[in-house]
Formats: sequence, C-alpha cells, structure tokens
Amino acid sequence: MVKENLIKKEVIVSRRSILKGAVGMSAMAAAGSLALDLTPQKAEGSILRTIPKKWDETIDVVVVGSGFAGLSAAAEAAAAESQTVILEKMPTYGGNSIISGGSYSSWDDKYHLRQEQNLGNDSPAKWKEDWLKGGDFYSVPELVEVIVNGAAPALNWMIDEGGLEIRKVLARHGGHSAFRAHMAIEAVGRPYTEALKKIAEKHGTKIRLGTQVSWIWRKDMDGPVLGVEVTKGNKKTNIKVKKALILASGGFSRDVKMRIAFNPALVPEFNCTNQPGSTGEIIRYAQAIGADALQLAFIQMFPFAEPESGILDVFATYPAKGAGYGFVYVNKLGKRFVDEMERRDVIAYAQIKTGVKPTYSIFNRLMMQKMEGEKELEAGVRKGRFIHGDTIIELAGKLGIPGDTLQETVSKYNKSLQEGKDSDFNKKISKQMVPLAEGPFYAVAQWPAVHHTMGGLRINPSAQVIDIWGNPIPHLYAAGEVTGGIHGSNRLAGNAYPDCVVFGRVAGINAAKEKVLS
Amino acid sequence: MVVHKIFKNTLVVLVGLVCVIYGLTSEEVKARPVSTRSPCINCHTDFTSVLRNGHPPVTGKEITACLACHVPKTTGKPELNAFFARIHRAHQCFKQKVDCVVCHTWQPTKSFGLPNQNGTMGKPSKKDMDLLKQIFNSWSSSVFLDALHAKKNVTCTGCHGNFLPISEATVENGRCLSCHGSLEQLAAKTSPLEFPDRNPHKSHLGEIGCTVCHHAHRESEVYCLGCHKTFQMKIPAGTINPQHQQSK
Repeated sequence: MVKENLIKKEVIVSRRSILKGAVGMSAMAAAGSLALDLTPQKAEGSILRTIPKKWDETIDVVVVGSGFAGLSAAAEAAAAESQTVILEKMPTYGGNSIISGGSYSSWDDKYHLRQEQNLGNDSPAKWKEDWLKGGDFYSVPELVEVIVNGAAPALNWMIDEGGLEIRKVLARHGGHSAFRAHMAIEAVGRPYTEALKKIAEKHGTKIRLGTQVSWIWRKDMDGPVLGVEVTKGNKKTNIKVKKALILASGGFSRDVKMRIAFNPALVPEFNCTNQPGSTGEIIRYAQAIGADALQLAFIQMFPFAEPESGILDVFATYPAKGAGYGFVYVNKLGKRFVDEMERRDVIAYAQIKTGVKPTYSIFNRLMMQKMEGEKELEAGVRKGRFIHGDTIIELAGKLGIPGDTLQETVSKYNKSLQEGKDSDFNKKISKQMVPLAEGPFYAVAQWPAVHHTMGGLRINPSAQVIDIWGNPIPHLYAAGEVTGGIHGSNRLAGNAYPDCVVFGRVAGINAAKEKVLS
Repeated sequence: MVVHKIFKNTLVVLVGLVCVIYGLTSEEVKARPVSTRSPCINCHTDFTSVLRNGHPPVTGKEITACLACHVPKTTGKPELNAFFARIHRAHQCFKQKVDCVVCHTWQPTKSFGLPNQNGTMGKPSKKDMDLLKQIFNSWSSSVFLDALHAKKNVTCTGCHGNFLPISEATVENGRCLSCHGSLEQLAAKTSPLEFPDRNPHKSHLGEIGCTVCHHAHRESEVYCLGCHKTFQMKIPAGTINPQHQQSK
C-alpha cells in the first residue's frame, strides 16, 4: 500500500518537472488534460498539447486527402448518411491521383474485356500471386486478398455511379502475367477522380481546399481518436470527429528528408513524379499517437519519367503499358539493357546502371494502335516528347544513337518474336508483342524519378489503423498510399488504383458504422 | 475639475486653430504627417482645389459632404465615377501619408466608420488595423495585382465586399468572374497558339481558384509551373517561371 503511494508520488513529481519548463500546474489544470503526443518537450518548436476544451466544429466523418482513397472513402461514408467532409491541404483537389498514369488493374470488369479480346485467362488468385511475388512477399496477404476481390466491383461502381468511361482494350504492365490494366479514354487519373468526386458530392460530401490537418487528437493509448487540429492560412481550429477519422493523405515521395531517412540512395538530385504536397506529416502525426508504420524503406522509382523535369505525363505512361505489346528499351549506345517485362525497381536500377541519362523506348504506330493511343502519337511528336522516324536509322540519327547498333537491336528483337525466345534478357515472349518491322517508328526519352512510397501506416483488412502493440486505434482508418504492407518491396503498375478505391470504400463503409462519440 | 477641463479643451482648440490658420495660408495642402481625426476642412480650405473642373460646388467640413452623391457600391464593378478609389489613393501616395483615422472613426474591436455616418464597416482590432494598413499600402503603391486594380479604380470593396476584410478573408471565383467574364471566355482569351492544351484557365486539375495564381497583395505566380517547369507562361504582376514555394 505504502509502496503504491510512493510510486504515485514519483509519477506526479516527474510530470511536474516536465511541465516546469512549459507552464505551471494550475494553468495546466485550467487548460485541460494532456493530449497523447510522442513529441519530446525539449524538441525544437514543440508545444505542450492539451485536448481542446471547446471544439470549433463537429463532423461525423473527416477524411484527410482528396485523391482516389479519400474520395472513395467519403463517397461511401456519405452514402451511408454520415456527414462527411474531406480536408485537402493543397489549393486543388486530387493529389497524385488526378495526375497519375491512368491504369486500373483488375482481373475482370462488367464488360469482360479480357475475355472479349481473347487475351487469356486470369483470376483473383493469379493476380494475387503476381502481386505478392512482385513485392518480394513482404505484402500482408490478407490485405491483398481484400483488393483482388474488391477491384472489379469497385471499377464497375465508378462506371455505373460515377459515369467513368474506359477504353475497350487492356494493357499488360511489367510483373503481371495477364492483361489487367484498364484505361480511361484519357490516359490519366483525372477521369477516375472526376467519377469518384461525382459520387462523393452526389451523396453530400463537402471538399475543403487549402485546409491542412496539423495534429491528430487522442487522449491516451486506450481511447479513440477525438478530432483534428486544422490550419487554414494563419488560423488554427479544432474539429471534433464523431464517428471516424480517415487518413488518405497519400505518400511522401516529395518529402526529401523523410525519404532519405528510410532510403539514403534517394538523394535530392533525383526528380520526383509527384505533386508538391506528397509529404509525410500525417504519417508522423499518426505515429505520435501510437500508430504503427511499416516498410517505409520501400520507395519506388518510376523508370519512365521525363528526364529533365521528372514529370509523368501522358507520354510517359506508354513505355509502361507498351511493354506488353513489345516496346523495346535501349540505352544511348542503342543496346537493350533489361527484360522490358520486369518490375519497375529492376528497370529503374538497370537504367541507373547504364550510367548515361536518358534511355529510350523504341516503338511503332502499330503498337500504339493496340492500346488506342494513336491520337497521342501526334500530340507527342508536336510537343517534342515522341521522336519520329520513318526508318530505324532515321530515328537513331535523331536520338544521337549509332544507327547500325539500333538496327541490330531491333532485328534481334524481331527474331526473338519469331523464335519465341529472348536470348539476351530472357523476356517471356507473348503473342501480343508486335514486331518492330513496319514504320513509322517512334522513341520516347525516359529516366527514373522517385514515385511511390509502398510503406506507411499499418492497417487491418477493415482499414483500421493498428497501433504499435497490434490493436486497432478506435475511430482511426487509413487507405491508399499512406498505408504500408500492401505492395511489399515493389508495387506493380496499375495496382495502386484498386488499392486506393477498394480500401477507401472499406474505410468509408466501416467509418459510417462506428458509434458516435459523445 | 470641470473648469480645468473646459480650460484644457479651449487651449486645445486654440492651438488647433493656430495650426489650421497656418495651414490655411496656402491654396495647396501642406505636406505634413497627419495622424489624428480631423475634418477635411482642416487641410482643404475649400474643396475646389482638389475637385476636377466642372464639379458642382461642395460645402461642408466632413466627408459627408461628398457622400451625398458618391454612394459606395459593392457589386464588384468599379463605380461609375471612381470617387472612393481616387480619394484613398490621393491620401496614400508617398507625398501625403494620411493615417486612416484622420478621415475615419475607429474604436478598436468595436467599430470603423465615417463621422456623422451610421453603421460600421467592421470591428478591426489593433492587429487587424496593422494588417489593413500594410495591405492598403500595397494596394495604393505596389507592383502587385491590387495596385493594378487600384489604377482602374477598384477598391477593397470591389473584391471583398461591404466590410473590412479580416486576415482569413478569401475571394471566391464568382467575384472575379463578375467583371472578368466566365471561365470559358477567359480560357478563350488565354489559349496558347502553339499548344492550346497548355491553357492556364482550362487546367487538367479542374476549376482552380483564381487567387491560387492571381495573388492580390503579393507577387502573382503561375501554379502550373510548379510541376511543368519548362512551360513558357506569364502572369500579370508576377515573374516568369517562379519556383513554386511548396516543392522541396
């Protein structure tokens, strides 16, 4: 008994000494109870946080971020009649999603395109196998299971309820053993974000731009998330969250300090494909209230970014999609340097290993036609992104590549299609690959840029955020690139879209079911 | 005590009169710092020297003399006769820095208005007023978009409406578009010859807030250039190819 009291006293004394530097005990009592905050008080700029006694606003479901995951989550929460608000810190909506490459992987869709086009067999299980293998088996299989099963219904949902229009052809990206990549008419993410925004706003979601979450309020490691602190311009306000907070704030590729902390190779000299807001503060705020994070070192480079600016424009999407139809990658000497159907990390590192920037994709009009990309050929040439040549020699001349070497590379490739075997890099030859026999021919310059952070907050199959002890944090959900353990060490192209939309929907549906906090 | 007060007030008035008499010796207004509430007539013996030719005669000591005809409009379009723009610019140019409170009545956090006028334009605190003065300075004499609007006789009310803007004030697109046309019209005006899809008013990011690029009280910047670093794009009251602040 006595010992207990002694221990209690000790605790009080150390709390008092912690507070000595900040504010007196009486002032503390007046201000409110301490908030859970793993920031050391001595840290520069740290302030003593207390749970707001008065909240400026109360909202049922707050979603952080307006990309695929945030919009999907909001759409479902609002559809279930929860008052839903999306907080977007940037001046425009859509995050990375709206500017992304446009491929949505799914083993099937309502039109059964793969079957219609006789592109072979596929199944959720086969897709999951590719998925896990592509990420070197670091993925949490239960999470992947949720996505491969939910991808087709989610795509159909965007088509039926959001008015999304997709191309009637499919592409096959590196690492996929089947044709799964669905594309919208425009080869970018915007048609999808527009469809999702339509659904979300139809059900009453409000999107607030220029509104940044600057803290997540939680009292202790047992209790739920209570709300968020929000900064808009110079003003800070506190929003109480009645049902759930859903974190859909994306990745941290633009956060140079954070990306280098987890992978020192990703120096500032590397360009980045992302929008400027892709930084990791939400991950840190979640960690500061006990959330677990995993696999933060797994950061992907996009191999085919525009070499000068790092931008992933519509033209940069073709080397990825075109690999399945026979695009050939060559270095400045005119030689191939990798199996084009390989994973992004393999291709990115192979390029860096060539030592000379940039490398090129060599393709022809026929390949573009297969992907319904012919219209983009003309635009690409006009903008100087695609280089055109009537012959391979002419093309080589324009690229500053030895013509005979490039010709030899192309001839070898054509031969490999006939023989069904790639003797240089062991690429698995498929019958969809088009020979580089008939012109006109084209090239696009490419170079790796930091692109996607596979790691992030830990979630369970219900999209609940898990704390460092393995327990779900009540009233906290996460979906999309902000989460970790889904793509493992390397994300396959086209897998991010279904990850975001499926888990966004799961988060929104579950958030709406939560009991209201008094 | 009361006698003392009367004596003190009389003294103040006498001193004031002396100053006024000094001031009245010239037709033109003497350039000197003024920072206390005083009627117009203290500096302007009569108004004819500051009025344009042909203006009907004006009698009165305070601004109420002018308000009889010049009624403030807050629809966003510059008033037909740009009275409010000109009168504010005249008193804010570098030669004569006249503090707001010379013409305006101000009770911090309570009211801000004009003498002999009902109603208040806001409840600025001292901090609010400091910010207002800063921005007002920009409007009257900077190279930013606000000064460009000032030259066309658009005042604060043109963008901010009837009340003094507070520090979190924003201006929504509807306001700008009420003068500058629909977004479609703007897009037509700024369609680039070489690459029509690189139109700042028809962005792939959707409809963007005008003020995301067109900053009134600081340098304007082209948001597109944050990612599209090689595009050739200019903006009024901005610099070419600024680095967007948020890129790390």
